[in-house]
Amino acid sequence: MADEAIAGHYQVLEELGRGSFGVVYKGIEKATGEVVAIKHIDLESTDDDIQDIQAEISVLSTCASSYVTQYKASFLRGSKLWIVMEYLGGGSCLDLLKPEPCSFSEPHIAIICRELLRGLEYLHAEGKIHRDIKAANVLLSESGKVKLADFGVAAQLTNIKSQRNTFVGTPFWMAPEVIQQNGYDFKADIWSLGITAMEMANGEPPHANLHPMKALFHIPKNPSPSLEGNFSRDFKDFITQCLMKSPERRPSAKELLRHRFIKSSGKIEALQELIERRRTYDATKTKKRNRPFYQETLQDFSPRSEQDEWVFDTVRSVVPRKATIKSRKPSSIFSTEEALRRMDPKDAPLQPSSPAPPTMRKSTVLRQPSGAHASNTRSVRGPPAPALRRPLQPDMSFGNSGSSQRLFRRVPSDGSNSGRASSPSPFDDIVDENKHPNAVEVTSKEAILGRRLYSKALDPTLAELHAQTSSMAKREALAKLSDAFAALDAVDPEGAYHLFRNLNSTMAQDSKLSNAFLNTQASMRDPIESEKPHGTVIIKSAPANPPPSPTKLVLAANNPHLKSHRRRQSAALVNTDTGSPEKSARLERDAEKAALQAKYPGREPQPGMEHCKQLSDVLYSRWVDGLRLRWPGT
Amino acid sequence: MAFLFGRGRSRTNTIDLSKQAKDHVLKLDGPGGPTKAEELAKVLNQMKLALQGVPEYESTPEQMYSLVQGLIEEDLLFLLAQNLHRLPFEARKDTQVIFSYVFRFRPTTASPKTDPVALSYVVNNRPEVLLELCRGYEHKESATPAGSVLREVLKNEAAAAIILYDDGEQPGSSLKGVTAIDRERPQTGSGVFWRFFDWIDKSSFEVAADAFTTFRELLTKHKELVPRYLAVNFELFFDKYNSILVQSNSYVTKRQSIKLLGEILLDRSNYNVMTAYVDRGEHLKICMNLLRSDRKMVQYEGFHVFKVFVANPHKSIAVQKILLMNRDKLLNFLSHFLEDRTDDEQFIDEREFLIKQIKNMPPNPIPPTRQPQPV
Repeated sequence: MADEAIAGHYQVLEELGRGSFGVVYKGIEKATGEVVAIKHIDLESTDDDIQDIQAEISVLSTCASSYVTQYKASFLRGSKLWIVMEYLGGGSCLDLLKPEPCSFSEPHIAIICRELLRGLEYLHAEGKIHRDIKAANVLLSESGKVKLADFGVAAQLTNIKSQRNTFVGTPFWMAPEVIQQNGYDFKADIWSLGITAMEMANGEPPHANLHPMKALFHIPKNPSPSLEGNFSRDFKDFITQCLMKSPERRPSAKELLRHRFIKSSGKIEALQELIERRRTYDATKTKKRNRPFYQETLQDFSPRSEQDEWVFDTVRSVVPRKATIKSRKPSSIFSTEEALRRMDPKDAPLQPSSPAPPTMRKSTVLRQPSGAHASNTRSVRGPPAPALRRPLQPDMSFGNSGSSQRLFRRVPSDGSNSGRASSPSPFDDIVDENKHPNAVEVTSKEAILGRRLYSKALDPTLAELHAQTSSMAKREALAKLSDAFAALDAVDPEGAYHLFRNLNSTMAQDSKLSNAFLNTQASMRDPIESEKPHGTVIIKSAPANPPPSPTKLVLAANNPHLKSHRRRQSAALVNTDTGSPEKSARLERDAEKAALQAKYPGREPQPGMEHCKQLSDVLYSRWVDGLRLRWPGT
Repeated sequence: MAFLFGRGRSRTNTIDLSKQAKDHVLKLDGPGGPTKAEELAKVLNQMKLALQGVPEYESTPEQMYSLVQGLIEEDLLFLLAQNLHRLPFEARKDTQVIFSYVFRFRPTTASPKTDPVALSYVVNNRPEVLLELCRGYEHKESATPAGSVLREVLKNEAAAAIILYDDGEQPGSSLKGVTAIDRERPQTGSGVFWRFFDWIDKSSFEVAADAFTTFRELLTKHKELVPRYLAVNFELFFDKYNSILVQSNSYVTKRQSIKLLGEILLDRSNYNVMTAYVDRGEHLKICMNLLRSDRKMVQYEGFHVFKVFVANPHKSIAVQKILLMNRDKLLNFLSHFLEDRTDDEQFIDEREFLIKQIKNMPPNPIPPTRQPQPV
């Protein structure tokens, strides 16, 4: 294969980090000796994403600008896609914002904005809209060069004057016209740039204290945010210009490059101070991180992997993990307490505003009130937990590795689709060559399930719930609970397993509880689906994609999101004559299960009755699923 | 005044531009090739700006019209398509933009229902332009720009027909223009459409994936053209499809083509194609082997084709035989099939349904109650 030949051009070196989409390695292009970053995506663990990845590659591969991360090549090896990119060792602006005082100085911001504007000027002239400008997507080289990264939701316009309607981006940074979906163009990026400038000045974007969904209502309804406080008039005016609510009045990138704030900006080398600051900061954190604890080595990286101890220390250029991790993994009561005491909205462990909120990209399919496919899509595109938990994850934003957007779309199976892409037996999950040397050996089946329970269900559920809770008190409580579970998981996964098994069977015995938690998943699922606030959102303009009704699907022939629907539809079509027996069979099955469940609630299997135990395991995981699905609506 | 002057000047320029470009293209092979390429790149960039305008200066319909005319007169569309891979990086992108503007351009007086001028010219008089664009997949450099132009152009049914029905010098080939096409004559398989199978199977990831996207577009967009095409060329098409794409060594090609197969079969407009497809025992065998692939997503996509065979209420004798011969194995296999897909209710339901269908099959094959419609 041609691809195999390309693979030989690169020497793969150490791992730089990993995210839910896979692993990033440092590599060397043999011919030139140039250092590169190589993203490694296991396509086998994504349901429907090959075309999205391809679209991103095609946008990237047609960019040639020193203000845009340079794409080099991509090739397949087996089911793994390797994407070779320019290596950027300075980290993302979001990483660089982490050390106190959690903001940049005005001169720094001016330089970054200038470089970003040059990048946008290039992209816009190329007919490309980035659509996801934010600090997390701005990468720095070690020398201080500023580059736009993550083209996961970028749009290529075929006509330079055409407009887009797709609802896409990350809520806090989204321009009003994007949210309102009545057509937008390049100016949407300028708005996001203005928000990013505010993010760099204040440490977070405006409305960061709001639930992302609420922010979506706020942005179009209220006057534009403005920069308050001790900043220069030029800077304030720059923000005002970027945040003109009417896109027509908002200046273009080219025009903004002539703004006084930008024209008086300094040299990019000054940005090395920010990188240095981050390194000093990391150096002080390093010791505390050297605690051995278990890390799961599933091939899909659930949020659990945030505790991974990647060998960041040896890679100087890598900006290691984030500050908030500290409060996350209590090695002693002390650190937890301390973390909780000093917890403020910015570094609460599960806070959605401090991490980069996930990029929205939810297809209309998600609003579709029919069970199976919807849930399927959700699990592929939507699981918000990992992205929301970014600060807690292994650092993936150094260099060109992950980004919130990626994290999300490529997350194949965290919790929501337990191990779909992984091996059929939970045992396989831990037999992984990537296994961390410090991992606590888990041998019993209970322990394995317990661990899985934590990583796939509990942790994401808690993260999601936390992300959607706005009250500080509630947040804190949840954070504590989350920490407690993390501790239990690290020490005694078996205990976690028994806790939930028993809980489950006890609940099954109570008819009300069992009705509420065990049987209602199907009906609960649908309304939640449409409300789910995170996840990547793409809502195509209505005419292209009329919301399909469960009975009659009107499908846009080529809509990739609807393909599985078509499957379902056609299957339903073939099934029409046999539909009802099928249903009754399922009812029968459920009744059978219920009967079994009542008989053997949570007992250890008796000889000859092992299948009941398996069944109860299944029911139990369904319950956990249901639990997870219940929360997003709260 | 400056405005008028600008327009007047740019009009002469636009005519010149095509001429200049042609001169440069023809000399790409000569001793000064690289310099010519640079000069050509400059001309193409000017041409692009003339079409899309610049913020300070909008392009006028007159100017665009004269440019389109120039491109047609100098046969530059063909030359650019043919030499796309030899142009410098930026020039390839500019060419892509030029094509997409030119193929969309209608004079202000023309009704929006008519085909754009250049596109209409190409499908009637110069189909080679489209064929050369397809051949852009021969080269890594030209694959992306050619592919983007193609996908846009393929929205036009006549353009899609040109590609499907290209059959060299054969009678009824699209080479003589869209009106000359004979849709009832089976293709020999040497036309440009059939090259897609190799481009998808043999190219590097970027090229293969782009070619596949175009291929998919070509086969799913036109609900009259394609079913008819597939019916007439059923054997050739599915023979190649199954042997090259479904059995491809490339994971992406294999997985995407199984998925596309499912989509094609389940598209209502392809009903006859579907019934003919699921009548074949051979097809079922391929499909059952996919279920045993070592890649889960291949198994999963294979399942969605397999279900069509089983759910078909009018199974052919051949299909019934295979299913019956393997009944116990299948039942056992399906009951454990992709067990970890626990939250995919649709899949679970369908799997249950298939198990039930197979269980309930009569012990001996019975002739289908309704004869499949001839394809």
